[in-house]
Amino acid sequence: MIWSPLHRNGDMHSPRQPRLAPSVSLLAVLALLAFALPAHAYIGPGAGVALVSSFAVILVTLVIAAFAILLWPLRMTWRMLRRKKREKAVIKRFIVVGLDGQDPKITDRLMAEGKLPNFQKLAKQGGYHRLRTTYPSISPVAWSSFSTGTEPGKHNIFDFLDRDKRTYLPQLSSTAIGSVKKFFKLGRWRIPLEKPELRLLRRSKPFWTILGEYDIWSTVLRVPITFPPDEFYGAELSAMCVPDLLGTQGTFLLFTTRRSDETFKEGGLRFFLEGQGPTYVSEIQGPPNTFLEDEPPLTVPMGLEMDANGKGGTLSLDGETHRLEVGKLSPWIMLTFPAAPMVKVTGICRMQLTEAGEHVSLYVTPIALDPENPAMPVSHPSYYSTYLAKKIGPYSTLGLAEDTWALNEKVIDDGTFLQQSYDIDKEREEMFFAALEKLRSGSLSCVFDATDRIQHMFWRYMEDGHPAAEGIEAPEHANAIEELYQRNDGLVGRVMEKIGEGDVLLVISDHGFTSFRRGVNLNAWLLQEGYLKLKEGTDGSSEWLRDVDWSQTKAYVLGLAGMFLNVKGREEEGIVEASEMQALKDEIVAKLHNLRDEEKDAIGINDLFDTGRIYRGPYRVNAPDFIVGYNEGYRTSWDCATGMVSGPIFEDNVKAWSGDHCVDPRLVPGVLFANHPLDDSEDPGIVDIAPTVLRLFGIEPPEHMDGKPLYERSRFGRGTTASKADGSPAGGPTKKAAATAAG
Amino acid sequence: MSMIFGSMRALFDAILYPFRELSPLVGLTVLSVLFGIGMLVVLKYTSNQEKLDAVKRKIHAGLFEIRLFNDDLRAIMRAQWDILRHNVSYLGLWLVPLLIMMVPLILIVGQMHFHYGYRGFEPGEQTIFTVELKQDQGSKPAARLDVPEGLSIDAGPVWIPAKRELSWRLEADARGDYQVGFELDGERYEKNLQVVDYIARRSPVRPAATFLDQLLYPAETPLPADGAVQSIALKYPPADAGISGWDNELTWMLVFVVVSVIAAYAFKGPFGVTF
Repeated sequence: MIWSPLHRNGDMHSPRQPRLAPSVSLLAVLALLAFALPAHAYIGPGAGVALVSSFAVILVTLVIAAFAILLWPLRMTWRMLRRKKREKAVIKRFIVVGLDGQDPKITDRLMAEGKLPNFQKLAKQGGYHRLRTTYPSISPVAWSSFSTGTEPGKHNIFDFLDRDKRTYLPQLSSTAIGSVKKFFKLGRWRIPLEKPELRLLRRSKPFWTILGEYDIWSTVLRVPITFPPDEFYGAELSAMCVPDLLGTQGTFLLFTTRRSDETFKEGGLRFFLEGQGPTYVSEIQGPPNTFLEDEPPLTVPMGLEMDANGKGGTLSLDGETHRLEVGKLSPWIMLTFPAAPMVKVTGICRMQLTEAGEHVSLYVTPIALDPENPAMPVSHPSYYSTYLAKKIGPYSTLGLAEDTWALNEKVIDDGTFLQQSYDIDKEREEMFFAALEKLRSGSLSCVFDATDRIQHMFWRYMEDGHPAAEGIEAPEHANAIEELYQRNDGLVGRVMEKIGEGDVLLVISDHGFTSFRRGVNLNAWLLQEGYLKLKEGTDGSSEWLRDVDWSQTKAYVLGLAGMFLNVKGREEEGIVEASEMQALKDEIVAKLHNLRDEEKDAIGINDLFDTGRIYRGPYRVNAPDFIVGYNEGYRTSWDCATGMVSGPIFEDNVKAWSGDHCVDPRLVPGVLFANHPLDDSEDPGIVDIAPTVLRLFGIEPPEHMDGKPLYERSRFGRGTTASKADGSPAGGPTKKAAATAAG
Repeated sequence: MSMIFGSMRALFDAILYPFRELSPLVGLTVLSVLFGIGMLVVLKYTSNQEKLDAVKRKIHAGLFEIRLFNDDLRAIMRAQWDILRHNVSYLGLWLVPLLIMMVPLILIVGQMHFHYGYRGFEPGEQTIFTVELKQDQGSKPAARLDVPEGLSIDAGPVWIPAKRELSWRLEADARGDYQVGFELDGERYEKNLQVVDYIARRSPVRPAATFLDQLLYPAETPLPADGAVQSIALKYPPADAGISGWDNELTWMLVFVVVSVIAAYAFKGPFGVTF
């Protein structure tokens, strides 16, 4: 089948000659395959595309690999010249598995019941301890202490939220996100001439940056307070505070045929689904289009065709269709918002039909930044998020990826939330093992969030009489937390299988957990006690302290953990003189110490911690003036956290968010499991991890670090055998073996 | 089968008619783009798009790995090996769509080749006109070549008994679309010969009525199955497909493949096809 007559014009040849015998044809085809163009010619464009793609891949691979190999000696030489001097590493890999919020009391109970065999095994092999958390005991603070080895006064993270000292309005404590000021205008279009400011507010160097200075690789996966990502020798995927595509910390969308003027109190937007059934239309709104003067929201038209049997429907988005089943979360769906010619903004979300019948409702998770093409930097190097997406498929980039708000607002049910959380954990596990497989020496830290989120949302089923479980008979997921711990146990088992000689494995949590039955509105208390005054004609029900008369207010609460004084010269309308501060602090501390909840005949607040006394670092001036030490079962109320003053001081918490850890930090230590016994096992703290890693890699921890190494180098030294907790040899690596492995 | 080839001839004559007076590049480009899109449609419905996407992602991940772990020679080599492995899977996933595409492709490419692979004769050019007989005639057969006005016989016939071939050297005297007649034992056979400068279907061979011959030379109706003639052939000069100086029968294919591949890449997004 080769249309290439062999005879030339004017020659005398047989007319048979152009027809080749099949075998000759086959040979010709094979020969042609060796040369790109004739091969295309023969098999056609299909093969052309296949071969072009394939050939391009091989070519690019070879070129990149050749460059990498050729440049390798130069790079190594350069690194050796630049590298700071250090002692030899005594370990090969330092692996930290962070189970955010794993509680020691629950862990103890389940271990005693034999339900956590892998934790048990790890405890026996190395050790199991309570891990001292930070003041306050919340993730952004604790994980920042983990990474920097310092107390909050040195890393500058004190809560999720901080207040703007000029406006008293809340702002993210860890990230400054600015806007573009300079544009080139072209009619109705405007082209940004600069990038918006994006700055990590955490101070102090994380241990992975220090390791990098000594040429030691680190992979950091979803450790909180890493947005925007650090730049260092290694790879990092950002976590907490990465916004969704709308720029919020997670806003779910509900499209529904139910007419309602109500708005969601937390993290959700409601849209009316137009149509008469079975066809409905609406549009998904994305971020504002900054390429246009008036910044209208970007949109994607959406159509929904429901099945006659009401069991599902077909969603069409920009020409693509997706099958949806009632009560079942879809896989990740890509949303593409056209912003300007040749400019698109992409995000990913999951969807679920939550009802289909007389009314139709469609739940859409917060639209996460597309990991393959994120609108903001979510990883270091920038292509690392793309690499992970190629490696394991799409995954959530949102800081707080599990949609707790939607469950709080009863938009989704327990099962959907659990599914979502476990799916995210599965993504994380795939990332973790992909990174672990590639790590030959260096550190790997990965934080799994499901433990925290599921305990927050399912604690109500753990104890009798929790107000958030009132009226729920025999909940289907009553054992969700126990099952979660068992899943964690499975993960630990799988990790242990991959741990070899010379590896140190720590399984840690940043804090424990307890019940959140009662909310405390300290703004209401401050009002009652005369420390806070309202503007005339207001009742204190406005959010974000908008009703507060600052000219007469001495103290206020914003966020989850702290209380602020309204200090003259610090806050815009401060009235408390510096000279009065300590006396005022002492007065408030004395009043709030053992504050009683008379209705329940219990103590609501154990103590108020004066940050001037507990923090030492240079950034303590940015801290709240007090950290509130709530008793077990108590926490700042939802109203207080959002700056409302009205309402009772104590009230029942009836939201699904029914467990918490934002209490007296002494009540909620985390856990620490290690595959080698600790040398300094007296009151280990999360702040000790960073100096430990540095010490084991032969780097003396910087003096500003507050933590102390948990291991002596000699534990892994020549002739020294790590011993088990029970005193028997653990078979730990010798110094020689470890040093060899560490290269 | 003849009906299929006949239909294809009619179809392509009609499709290419508007382009006959234009540069070959115009028609070729239009057809290539259409074919590229057609290929996308076939690929969309005959390939395992999910697997193709997955294997492509793995290849990309491997490329990123080489970049990411560029200090680790072992990681680089491993990533390379993975990429090559996935590349083989990628080609494997193309097999089914390629086999399915093959059928229409053979029919289409056959027609296109005989429109764009050869040009018509210019007045003054010569060609060898060869008739192959089915059976050994023993001696030189008493055959006659009926050459219409505008063509002339420059030499022949030459009889080659071993090949059962009679050959004439013909010369084009004037432009025209001619039917050259060949008479043997009272039967008349014809072969089209074009001395024209526009794009048209022209076949160097009028084939026998077998499937394979028709497949190879689908541009002209086959000879009668019960006739004495096996095939009639002449030699058209190769065309340049609009690329000056590239006189080769396969030049059009180069254009066809390049343009259709580009079209496939350009339209894969709108058509939602992965490859």
